[in-house]
Amino acid sequence: MKSMELGTIEREIHVDASPEVVFDVVSRPEHISEWWSDEATLDDGIGELVWGERVDVQQFSVVTAEPPRLFAFRWAYPDGKFDAEAAALLVTFELTPSGTGTKLRMTESGFREMGWEAAKLEEMYNDHVTGWDHFVPRLGEYAGRLASS
Amino acid sequence: MNTIDDELWSAIGDPTRRRMLDLLLAEGAGTATSLSARLPVTRQAIAKHLGVLDRVGLVHSAAAGRERRYQVDEAQLARAVAQLASVGSAWDARLQRIKRIAEAIQRANDERQSN
Repeated sequence: MKSMELGTIEREIHVDASPEVVFDVVSRPEHISEWWSDEATLDDGIGELVWGERVDVQQFSVVTAEPPRLFAFRWAYPDGKFDAEAAALLVTFELTPSGTGTKLRMTESGFREMGWEAAKLEEMYNDHVTGWDHFVPRLGEYAGRLASS
Repeated sequence: MNTIDDELWSAIGDPTRRRMLDLLLAEGAGTATSLSARLPVTRQAIAKHLGVLDRVGLVHSAAAGRERRYQVDEAQLARAVAQLASVGSAWDARLQRIKRIAEAIQRANDERQSN
């Protein structure tokens, strides 16, 4: 399921695992480093996502952690450094039991607050549907080469 | 996000420009003429797109005869990569990985309980 109100990205998927398991996967750094960054740490509500040999480092801050139903954090701070005053993206994972598994709903918001215009957001979204798939893997591959060189 | 980031974002927001970057990466370098031979776009339009990419620093150029030869700027592309990672386009892939990991853990837990 996909939708995008300008400024918010929303996704919903079903996972054949209990909410407790899914909560651990979305919130624990040892798992975050499996599905997102190359390395991740989380200490006292402030975490760090690291790509490559620290080619990119993004701090994040946990806003809400209510196992096993809600995990929310902010990230994409200016220069990747936590700043309580700065605009940042807000990611929310909502977990609802569904049969023997979990309905996982993810929203990411705050793009507009960070200065991306509506027109560009729309363009980004359309591009995502039609064209990102080709370019992003290539960029990822390229970033990997940069990181290892 | 400052203005330059916004322009960088806008520069790679265009599908033709992304295909040009792909070609330049694959071939190491190119000119407006060589790129227009590979894309369904006029040489003039390619030149204009190269100008946009040049302004945000995604490519740099050197004179090559009567033309300019363009190469992708590695550092600036790395920045664009970081920015791409910071928008939602990657969430589908991340969620699929979350699903796979959680389901593998669940299966392992279930097997342990049934043994």
